[in-house]
Amino acid sequence: MQLPAAQVAVLQAASADDATSVDAIAEATDLPPETVTGAVFELEDEGLVAVAERVDETITLTDEGAEYAAGDLPEIRLYEAALEAGADDDPVSMGRVIGAAELDGNQVDIALSNYARKGYGQIDSGEITADPNADPNADAEANALSALEDDGDGNVDGDSDSELADEFSDEIRDQLERRGLLELAETTTREVTLTDDGVTELMAGLETAETVGQVTPELLTGGEWEDVEFAEYNVEADAEQFEGGRVHILRQTADRVKDVLVGMGFREMEGPHVDADFWINDSLFMPQDHPARTHWDRFALERPTHIDELPAELVERVERAHREGVGEDGEGYHSPWDEDFARALALRGHTTSLSTRYLSGREIGEIEPPARFFSVEKVYRNDTLDPTHLLEFFQIEGWVMAEDLSVRDLMGTFEEFYAQFGIEDIQFKPHYNPYTEPSFELFGTHPTTGELVEIGNSGIFREEMLEPLGVECDVMAWGLALERLLMLMYGFEDIRDIHGTLCDLELLRETEVTY
Amino acid sequence: MPTVDIDPDELRELTGHDEKSDGELQEDLFGLGLEFEGRTEDGAFELEFAPDRLDRLSVEGVARSMRYQYGDARGVHVPATNSAEWTIRVDESVPDERPYVTGAVIRDIDLDEESLDSLIQLQEKLHATMGRKRAKGAIGIHDLTMLRGSPATEGNPTIEYVGIDPDGDRFVPLDSDAELTPAEVLEEHDTGRTYADLVSEYERYPAIYDDIGLFSFPPVINGRRTEVTTDSRDLFIEMTGTDQWTIDKMLNIVCYALAARGATLEDVVVEYEDGESANADSKGSRTQSGGSGLVRPDLSTRTKTVPHGRIETILGIDLDPDEVIDLAERSGLDATKQEGGSGTDTTTDATADELVYEFTVPPYRVDVLHPLDVIDDLGRAYGFNELEPKYPDVGTVGGRHERSRLEDATRTQLVGLGFEDLLNFHMISEGENNERLDLDPDADVYGAGEPATIKEPYSEDFTMLRTWVMPSLLMVLERNTHRAYPQHLAEIGFTAVVDETETIGVDERRHVGAVLANHDAGYEDAKARLQALARRFDVELETPPTEHPTFISGRTAAIVMDDEVVGVIGEVHPKVLVEHDLEVPVAAFEFDLAALE
Repeated sequence: MQLPAAQVAVLQAASADDATSVDAIAEATDLPPETVTGAVFELEDEGLVAVAERVDETITLTDEGAEYAAGDLPEIRLYEAALEAGADDDPVSMGRVIGAAELDGNQVDIALSNYARKGYGQIDSGEITADPNADPNADAEANALSALEDDGDGNVDGDSDSELADEFSDEIRDQLERRGLLELAETTTREVTLTDDGVTELMAGLETAETVGQVTPELLTGGEWEDVEFAEYNVEADAEQFEGGRVHILRQTADRVKDVLVGMGFREMEGPHVDADFWINDSLFMPQDHPARTHWDRFALERPTHIDELPAELVERVERAHREGVGEDGEGYHSPWDEDFARALALRGHTTSLSTRYLSGREIGEIEPPARFFSVEKVYRNDTLDPTHLLEFFQIEGWVMAEDLSVRDLMGTFEEFYAQFGIEDIQFKPHYNPYTEPSFELFGTHPTTGELVEIGNSGIFREEMLEPLGVECDVMAWGLALERLLMLMYGFEDIRDIHGTLCDLELLRETEVTY
Repeated sequence: MPTVDIDPDELRELTGHDEKSDGELQEDLFGLGLEFEGRTEDGAFELEFAPDRLDRLSVEGVARSMRYQYGDARGVHVPATNSAEWTIRVDESVPDERPYVTGAVIRDIDLDEESLDSLIQLQEKLHATMGRKRAKGAIGIHDLTMLRGSPATEGNPTIEYVGIDPDGDRFVPLDSDAELTPAEVLEEHDTGRTYADLVSEYERYPAIYDDIGLFSFPPVINGRRTEVTTDSRDLFIEMTGTDQWTIDKMLNIVCYALAARGATLEDVVVEYEDGESANADSKGSRTQSGGSGLVRPDLSTRTKTVPHGRIETILGIDLDPDEVIDLAERSGLDATKQEGGSGTDTTTDATADELVYEFTVPPYRVDVLHPLDVIDDLGRAYGFNELEPKYPDVGTVGGRHERSRLEDATRTQLVGLGFEDLLNFHMISEGENNERLDLDPDADVYGAGEPATIKEPYSEDFTMLRTWVMPSLLMVLERNTHRAYPQHLAEIGFTAVVDETETIGVDERRHVGAVLANHDAGYEDAKARLQALARRFDVELETPPTEHPTFISGRTAAIVMDDEVVGVIGEVHPKVLVEHDLEVPVAAFEFDLAALE
């Protein structure tokens, strides 16, 4: 029979007549006890050995117990000092006896509390008497301590050594344990006996099987894998840290948003980051003297400065909407309008520039209602850079074009969208945007903190915006910073750790996967 | 967003609702869209609101809106004005850049500290918003009893709005004891310095005179002589600006606020030199009978015609006509039904037999530009949050743009090849983009090019758009030298260079950039991954040797995909590594994403 080396050694060290402990086998075979234990269980499974388990109680002297075993128990020293002082005849002053007994600290209390209990005499009103008939040599506790000490290392195998066990009763043992002079512990001992099968195999002769470290092509093709044992690994140990690649979490969040929107029937838009203010603002019915169009908010380009061409007829219609308004009762803005400003190039402050380009029919041709479009793309704002604000961030932009859209349609669309991210109970706060009416700020309940947070801005595009673009039905739209959604979903505190060249690779590597 | 400070006691007094607790007031204010942000040192509410209802920039205007909300007031209210006694004559010398003026006289005002503070706050808030920091409209309020005017031609005492030489006259401005010329005010007076940019380019400076002399230097500062105090009983208000409509509306808001304090309004005649200026249209309808002057304040109302059907489709509910009229009156508007009205206006979709309403809009409203704005008012009065959301019943087909699909597919491959996907800023500094990579923007190498530059950058770290992705990746390596290696980073990122052949003057591209940083990283590691990418997208890859200042000579190749040079691959030059505090070799490549199409 072929067995691994350890099992062979165990079989050879065990006996059919006497039970041998694992420790003894380990000593005999020079193998680590855990290896022997493993081999013993394997052999038990094979039916080659029988294993008996015994739970042993171990008694150990504490430091204090060892001290008293070497000397005397405090109460005995007190009794002897009391006899010396003649307390067997008349009561003697306590102070004198304690001094003579050379007791100190808590030994005094120990002596006093055990003195009367064990019949050495009486203590009353500061005086002590000694019973002349008491015999310290017959003190069972003192004798038990001595017996334990005589055992050498202070360890006693109580059950297996009947002689010792007889020397003191369980009562004494418990008493000494209470006094903190000895400690009791349990250990499990496994003892191995060869079974008949084990003896038979041993007689028939055993071969040691080869252990190998690695599965090799030769092992597999030669069929040797059938006879080998594989060296055991410490399968619990940590392996080397492996990073691998992963998609940036903000991209993952963007992809999730895109999935949701595509599922809701939205088509993706695409367009330039550098664009004319005409597409970014003028065609949105943003007055040219609106505060958001000053250099405080906007990144105008120094080079190049102006767009080559704008559709002349559209420019004229947009300018007319700004100056005169749209419709019989329409009023325009009482603001200056200059085509040169409309042609000025800037980094887009919102992706609504894509919406105006698409709505104008100049990107993918005229769009017929019903239609839904979206983008999740970068926008640029000259804001203060801080843990929650970046100069460039992703904006989720979406719009729905249909005949006769109502505020209720808008609310229903957003409720559906945000519910996909666990944000329920959307509240709609009436708001003002130059290009939408009615307009709403969207608030939602934070999925973990429960606080009310702003989650977007929305509205129905104004006719002053749509009419010049040639759109003859309703369009409702909304926008939201993707980073805001990310921070809500992951609970990050500083967006700069995530997005941009200040990012922390460890944070990116270790952020929990969400889906 | 604008903020306004409101004393809750004044609000209780002006609304007549003494019983309202501070908490109840805050709730009612939120209902109007005025959000409680905190309290000022004096215990006043600090309220933030969207910049449409500029008539709510003072406690008087907020109280008016609340009275409508409470149902204590209904419909349009226009205060009466007494006939004009005073005239503002606009001289032909007035600067072309600031030709317009308007004004009103206020009688029997009882100003205490609070109401004076409120008036000053309203003035400042209007300057900041409608007045576009005084550029478009500036307000001057004067103690009328300090003014002397004699009739210029006939009848009324007259004030003159003129243009003068910057050093043409002297006056004592507010907060000063010295007589200064307007030009000196711009240099020596704090307020003058703040607003100097508004007029310093003018040939002639705006100035307002009475018989005694110059008393106001708009839009910069008033004279000390006519300063308003709590003892002032009669006020003269003048506003100058670049647009008549804007200053007239600002004046209306101030007049409504003072009328709410119990003052009597009195007209002022504004006489322009030519009677009919180019801007006559926007000067409004109120003109002086038998004269060429405008009569101000112009408290005329405007009307908006809205079909019933349009109200119902926007709000998504059925409404009874009486309910519409009720909602209008609760919004401070008036509404009358007009069966089959003449409003066959294409933008409002009214047909001949349809029920339409004519809504009357009060003169303090500056936000109603279109009939839709009236529908918004009706929705607010109804309570938008009372509406039940519904999903729009229209089917559309969704889908991703091809460009973003390609980007995502490439990203998936990069991640599969073991790269950490990164996302960096598009704005960068010239130093980071070029010098630190030893790149000359004019050189004919991959990544170089004339950058699109920002006119007024946020800081010197963000002065241009990056021309390639490599600088960002090296910056990330630089900031993560304390993190575990290997660091295999990739970014599919936006880049831009000036290109006059493009309509927008800029060639915007996506680049695929990758760096491999490790103690044993080398050219072959980068090439192996690049080959895998090329194979997966079925493009033919060649890497002929080339020279590039960012990479080690002899270990650099051009990336040629399907016979076109589209990028560069190599081991990053030690001087670039040292510049970025890197102590490990870095192999890298970068190419145009479009090459994988």
